[in-house]
Amino acid sequence: MEAIKLMKELKSNLDQEVHYLPKETGLSLIESTQENGNGVSAKCRDARVEDLWSLTSFFGYSTQTFVLAVNLLDRFIAMMKVQPRYLACISIGCLHIAARVTKEECKVSSSHELIRISQCKFTVSDLSRMEKIILEKLNFQLKAVTALTFLHLYHAIALSHTSNRKDVLNLDKLEAQLKACLCRIVFSKAKPSVLALSLLMLEIEALQSVDLLEIAQRIQTHLKISKADLVHWRGLVGQCMREYSSPECAKPDHKKLVWIVSRRTAQNLHSIYRSIPDLPTIPEDTWDESESQALISTENHLDFSFSL
Amino acid sequence: SALAMSSAATTPPSVDKVDGFSRKSVRKAKQKRSQSSSQFRSQGKPIELTPLPLLKDVSAQEQPELFLKKLQQCCAVFDFMDTLSDLKMKEYKRSTLNELVDYVTVSRGYLTEQAYPEVVKMVSYNIFRTLPPSDSNEFDPEEDEPTLEASWPHLQLVYEFFIRFLESQEFQPSIAKKYIDQKFVLQLLELFDSEDPRERDYLKTVLHRIYGKFLGLRAFIRKQINNIFLRFVYETEHFNGVAELLEILGSIINGFALPLKAEHKQFLVKVLIPLHTVRSLSLFHAQLAYCIVQFLEKDPALTEPVIRGLLKFWPKTCSQKEVMFLGELEEILDVIEPTQFVKIQEPLFKQISKCVSSPHFQVAERALYYWNNEYIMSLIEENSNVILPIMFTSLYRISKEHWNPAIVALVYNVLKAFMEMNSTLFDELTSTYKSDRQREKKKEKEREELWKRLEDLELKRSLQSDGIIPT
Repeated sequence: MEAIKLMKELKSNLDQEVHYLPKETGLSLIESTQENGNGVSAKCRDARVEDLWSLTSFFGYSTQTFVLAVNLLDRFIAMMKVQPRYLACISIGCLHIAARVTKEECKVSSSHELIRISQCKFTVSDLSRMEKIILEKLNFQLKAVTALTFLHLYHAIALSHTSNRKDVLNLDKLEAQLKACLCRIVFSKAKPSVLALSLLMLEIEALQSVDLLEIAQRIQTHLKISKADLVHWRGLVGQCMREYSSPECAKPDHKKLVWIVSRRTAQNLHSIYRSIPDLPTIPEDTWDESESQALISTENHLDFSFSL
Repeated sequence: SALAMSSAATTPPSVDKVDGFSRKSVRKAKQKRSQSSSQFRSQGKPIELTPLPLLKDVSAQEQPELFLKKLQQCCAVFDFMDTLSDLKMKEYKRSTLNELVDYVTVSRGYLTEQAYPEVVKMVSYNIFRTLPPSDSNEFDPEEDEPTLEASWPHLQLVYEFFIRFLESQEFQPSIAKKYIDQKFVLQLLELFDSEDPRERDYLKTVLHRIYGKFLGLRAFIRKQINNIFLRFVYETEHFNGVAELLEILGSIINGFALPLKAEHKQFLVKVLIPLHTVRSLSLFHAQLAYCIVQFLEKDPALTEPVIRGLLKFWPKTCSQKEVMFLGELEEILDVIEPTQFVKIQEPLFKQISKCVSSPHFQVAERALYYWNNEYIMSLIEENSNVILPIMFTSLYRISKEHWNPAIVALVYNVLKAFMEMNSTLFDELTSTYKSDRQREKKKEKEREELWKRLEDLELKRSLQSDGIIPT
């Protein structure tokens, strides 16, 4: 009966998800905005989300917090025309809100700590004002239904159906992959149920499990997800995953991080080459210049049995 | 019978306590520069020198002989500890020496064969002496002011003169080598233990020139320096001239021919690496590190033994030294070849991983700063699948646990760099770490519950035996 309950939950979440989608026209506008143009560009947004990913990992926040933060961010910037210079404050604000909503098991870091670690330039009062604005504009609708919600449900369903131990889906891995996808604004346009299912199916393909495939197909039917949609998003997700797992490292092209060290350490960072000896090099096995000249000019008998 | 307790009575010094540890430098702050000398006045009559005419005032033919006479006069050594004696004669010798310095610098055709032994004799008489004992038994070269040589007004000019003599265009090593021999060099090397840094600086130049010009003495000089260092490291841990000798060695290493001779490689491994273990490393570390890096630039294949040597001698209780080692290691990594890097990356990063978790914030900070080095970063990127697992646990742990907020901020930079370098591996490691932590917590909880049950059991038993509850 567990399975039936889960299927019901699935249906109700499906009905809800449309309420938490960022405005599509807003997202498209961002995608088409040029770098250094007016407004936030896709690259700018993606860079910010990557920062949120780093911070989430650093502070040990759950995937839930991250996914919610991204959802709040996308919804906000899709409805408001924001200036790029406020994006840092907005994104940190979303993360802070999300962490409090999720009721993180570990202590939610203070605003001060968040700002310090992320090396942002705004103040604590700036942040709390921004958070108020975000909450107002989003009508305090914070319990978003996201791709993670569906991922957890799909996972639970798969678990309740498979008797075969070998066909166990790794939820951590799926969550990590979802996080990677959310760093690209294109995936914010996808319906969370479809995005989650695409991830699921790719993983099932990798596992080559017939049982799991059947379950996934049943979910697809149940939720009435069109084949075209699925194919479209699976393609994009597949490409993203290839880049995510590629051995080539992605060099960050946005701002370089600041390395602040204490005065004592900074003083000792000088290279030893600053204290290069002022003694000229003495070549081995050869005479030095003046020596050879003296040799040439002198008529004396020289002792050639030198040892080196 | 009572044991004779001969403990030196030490009055506890009144010290400032900084962080609970007394500061020697505060204790000795009032110390003024003291002087010493071992040239003492003999009991005989005062030294009388007949004033000679100036060299510029005699004809060119007479100059060589006058030159010799002046040299002979300068063999007379004066007592500078007695500040009132022989003032007139001291001044005369000083001005004579000055004159000789100028003469040797500008003149031509003055250097006859007879001059060589007289020059060497004069220099020997003046500089070769048993160095006076240190004023305090506990001379700490890192903290205390050195005792200076009282006869410096003359001594400096003698050194100056000798250097110009050696550098003179007319100087012929083939003649000089009869007088500047192994015995001379040996005595010269002993002087490097002088507490007076000015003297050591001159000695450094003198020995450098001698090494350059006398090929027949080079092996001997190297051997003697070898011995000095070995004695320093393994027997006395006392020698004031290590930095100066290392500077000379730097210029020698720089000139090594390739392929490097086995003797030189031995020196690196048996002498230079062990030099890192000495307590007073800070006095000569820059010069030592320079020598090491020069060796590696000559022969990159030596990188592995060098780094393994440093790791073997890694300081365990002295944080100041750890910071020095980290600095030197970074210089080595700056010039390392990628193939060499791969050979030592595992033991290397195991040590770095320990350093970043050090509770001493300077050590942690210095180690974390490696990630700000572009070249090192590129090497790490190429090998992130090996290095990341080694570093991960410490980094992640200290991001949560370290007491110093500046360190925590730096750790963020490093973790972020790793995340971007190899996201999949990073995520794997994070999830393994988290599940390990959960397992640990679970075990802890189980253990606590077990103890609680035991407690309850014990309580029940004691209550039963007291007859309070029925068995």
